[in-house]
Amino acid sequence: MKFSEDASGLSVWGLIKSYGGEGGVRALDNFSLDFPAGQCTVLLGPSGCGKTTVLRSIAGLIAPDEGRITIDRSVVFDASAGSDVPPEKRRLGMVFQSYALWPHLSVAENIAYPLLSAGMPKTEVARRTNAMLAWIGLTGMGSRYVHELSGGQQQRISLARAMVAKPRAILFDEPLSNLDARLRERMRLELLALRQQAPFTSIYVTHDQLEAMTLADRVVVMRAGKIEQVGSPEEVYKRPRTRFSADFVGIPNLLDATVRSITGSDLIVETAVGALAARSWRTDWTSGARCTVAARPTLLMVQPGDAGEGRSGRVIRSVFQGASTIELIEFDGTEVAIESLGEERHAPGSIVAVKPALGAVFAVLDD
Amino acid sequence: MTPGDAVPMAAASSGARSTAWDQVIFSMIAALAVLMVCYPVLVVALRSISKEEIGSSLTLEWITAVFDSARSREALVNTVIYTAGASVLAMGLGVLLAFLSARTDMPGGRTIGFLALLPMLVPPFILVVGWVAIADPSAGFINILASALTGRRTTWVNINTMSGLIWMTGLFLTPYVYLLVAAGFRSSDSAMEEAARVSGAGRLRLLYTIILPLQRPALLAALLLVIIMAAGDFIIPATVGLKAKIYMLPSLIWQNHSSFPARPGLAAAQSLLLVAVGLLCIYFQRRALSRGGRYTTVGGKGSRPMLFPLGKLRYPLGVLALLFALSSSVIPLLAVGSMAFMKYWSPYALKPENLTWRNFNYMLFEYPQVWPSAQHSLFLGFTGATACVVLAIALAWYVIRMRGKFAGIVEYAMVLPLGIPGIALGVGILSLWILVPGGIYGTLWILLLAYVTAHIPVAMQFVSSALHRIHTDLEDAPRISGQAWAGTLWLIDVPLMRPALIGCWLLMYVVILREISLVILLYNPSTIVLSVGLMDVWSNGFYPELAVYSLLLLVLGVVPVAVLWKFARFSSD
Repeated sequence: MKFSEDASGLSVWGLIKSYGGEGGVRALDNFSLDFPAGQCTVLLGPSGCGKTTVLRSIAGLIAPDEGRITIDRSVVFDASAGSDVPPEKRRLGMVFQSYALWPHLSVAENIAYPLLSAGMPKTEVARRTNAMLAWIGLTGMGSRYVHELSGGQQQRISLARAMVAKPRAILFDEPLSNLDARLRERMRLELLALRQQAPFTSIYVTHDQLEAMTLADRVVVMRAGKIEQVGSPEEVYKRPRTRFSADFVGIPNLLDATVRSITGSDLIVETAVGALAARSWRTDWTSGARCTVAARPTLLMVQPGDAGEGRSGRVIRSVFQGASTIELIEFDGTEVAIESLGEERHAPGSIVAVKPALGAVFAVLDD
Repeated sequence: MTPGDAVPMAAASSGARSTAWDQVIFSMIAALAVLMVCYPVLVVALRSISKEEIGSSLTLEWITAVFDSARSREALVNTVIYTAGASVLAMGLGVLLAFLSARTDMPGGRTIGFLALLPMLVPPFILVVGWVAIADPSAGFINILASALTGRRTTWVNINTMSGLIWMTGLFLTPYVYLLVAAGFRSSDSAMEEAARVSGAGRLRLLYTIILPLQRPALLAALLLVIIMAAGDFIIPATVGLKAKIYMLPSLIWQNHSSFPARPGLAAAQSLLLVAVGLLCIYFQRRALSRGGRYTTVGGKGSRPMLFPLGKLRYPLGVLALLFALSSSVIPLLAVGSMAFMKYWSPYALKPENLTWRNFNYMLFEYPQVWPSAQHSLFLGFTGATACVVLAIALAWYVIRMRGKFAGIVEYAMVLPLGIPGIALGVGILSLWILVPGGIYGTLWILLLAYVTAHIPVAMQFVSSALHRIHTDLEDAPRISGQAWAGTLWLIDVPLMRPALIGCWLLMYVVILREISLVILLYNPSTIVLSVGLMDVWSNGFYPELAVYSLLLLVLGVVPVAVLWKFARFSSD
């Protein structure tokens, strides 16, 4: 991972954080990452992977044991130098999972709080607050109290409060996980629209791969305090580097395979469903090597009967899920899930042929 | 209809029949309870506008006398100063101790938290005797020490002053503030504080714009409670207050009733004023607490709130907090303990040859009042606590589960006694029952009635919150299988509420045993109780004997608590 302290934006370097004293859990294990200015970096991982610890370290709410954090080229934390700028001096905005709006203050007072903390004159505070209220579509509701508003409105207020003081970066700590599914979807698209209007540096923590795919310029898959994979959403989804990444972005089929031929970075691998075109991050493959292929369910196609050039399998189950159908097919003891948009479904026990979609390139995993 | 259907039908109809009976019985209990808490207020009001006993011609002379007579006006002013001073001191100390022990890195926070609550167990009389021993202008420990240090007669502190009275009351009320505020500090939502810090608020700004305002309902409730308790406080004005000739309304009410020339009408009018203030406070307190609803929000990930670093002040503040926590219980107890062994009261006498068991011997075996009063106190403590708990169960059941016709009225009425100072309640009960010939006046029963009236609100709060926590499904199950409501209550709810009921009983027992203001007007020599007996010994002025007597009160109060506490803990979690 390259580390460039002169880049604008945010950088963390060599963060180590343990909980529970000596021999305790390592929440962060030598974690280094650049967060480029104007981009949205999503930290994706299961609970306990350290993503929230990174976020809270950047906010200054916890102090890592080791490492350095810089924001726009100024050091805000350096364990070796013993420097630790308190959160209120880091000029960041943060959106919390529980919204963390203050019930004793009105909506407008909640939004105005960062401006008043910065000592801005009252008239300017009022102007900026009203602009913010208009921006989140809550004009005229400034004098209400937080408990009178819906979850989605509260989430927007929380966002407005995080943005009002024009912070150097905005930190999102699983902001949508308290909302119900429909509202979550809407807020996700709203957030995306906001970012496209005016790009701002943001760091977004979530365990929901759909949120990560939609919102990120860059996805960082985390596991046990370390980075598992960094890349654009497309990259991470289409070319997961490891079993863990593949699993976390939701690819159910991890097939045992043998490398058959190598042409530059393009591989042909032999699997239970037949020969597949594949690509790998690793470059040291030799012909005949064992490997694992992550086969996305939409890259395989089912054809009835054992005619054609595809490999034959037996249908175990066919699951209708509205927009698509998932069919679970067995090949010599290997179960493979295949997703199709077609209306056609196959009875359990029937024999079908499977072949890769036209031009499909599969991902060979590193491990 | 098949024979199999007949069985559930019969069960259902018998259930319905006994439910109707339950309704009648519980409604009657509820009505009597409402009557019990309401009539004293009415009687006080009536008595204060009656020339003689209730029923005589009406007059406004008593009410005007509250403000016109020099002594009464002086008492009024003193009561205001005393209430304000004690409230400010208790709020300041209580909030500070709660904040230091819950939200800072002060060493020994838990110990100090425990010590801050300890005075609730210690009868206030002990604190009074203890502080007299410590800060009496001539014979108090501190002034003896001062004289020894300076080489001549020196008075550093004097308990017989308004500030002395405020000091004692403030210390005595601090645990109530601590109790109401500390829990809020401890459970405050850390995300709200983090949001403020990321929004640019430094620690100080965080404290006064977020942390303290979030506790506003609890702070207001604590303040109003402390005002009620200080304004209606009897024991300190009636002991040190009278000795220092600082008259206050509660002590004046007592004197107007029991000293020559008795002026019960004036006492009733003064009581009415206290009741009015108390009920007003209760009204605002309820409002503050019900508005607290909007302060509860969506919970987030529960991380512990940040501890404020005190830096160099850690240890000095820790020592100071410890000193304050100790001075409301342990220090006065030690003073009382040492006084109990003195041949005569002077700290100079604290030499081996001046120590004696004689006071114990005299007070426990020779003093004629001690065993009758102990017996009465124990009897009233046990029956009173039991009556409070049983009545509270019945009322809570009526209000919460039956949702009876008068549930709303019962709920409101059961709050009233919280706003009525003990002495005023005593005036109300006395004024009514003295008129009833051959009734309960002069018996232990009138004392029992007074205790139950005064303490039913707290008992009911205890039981109600416990009953609210029991899911109705647990009750529906036996009802479907044919149990009547009363059966369900007895078989399901009472066992489930056992820890809360034991806790409630203990609290009732402790407060009944220490209660003075309520019974000071209602007792007669044949129904004397421990706490009132203490007032007798106080007026004799022999402090070592007083010390022994007050220790006896402490022991009798604390022993059942210690024994039963184990059972209460047993299944409380």
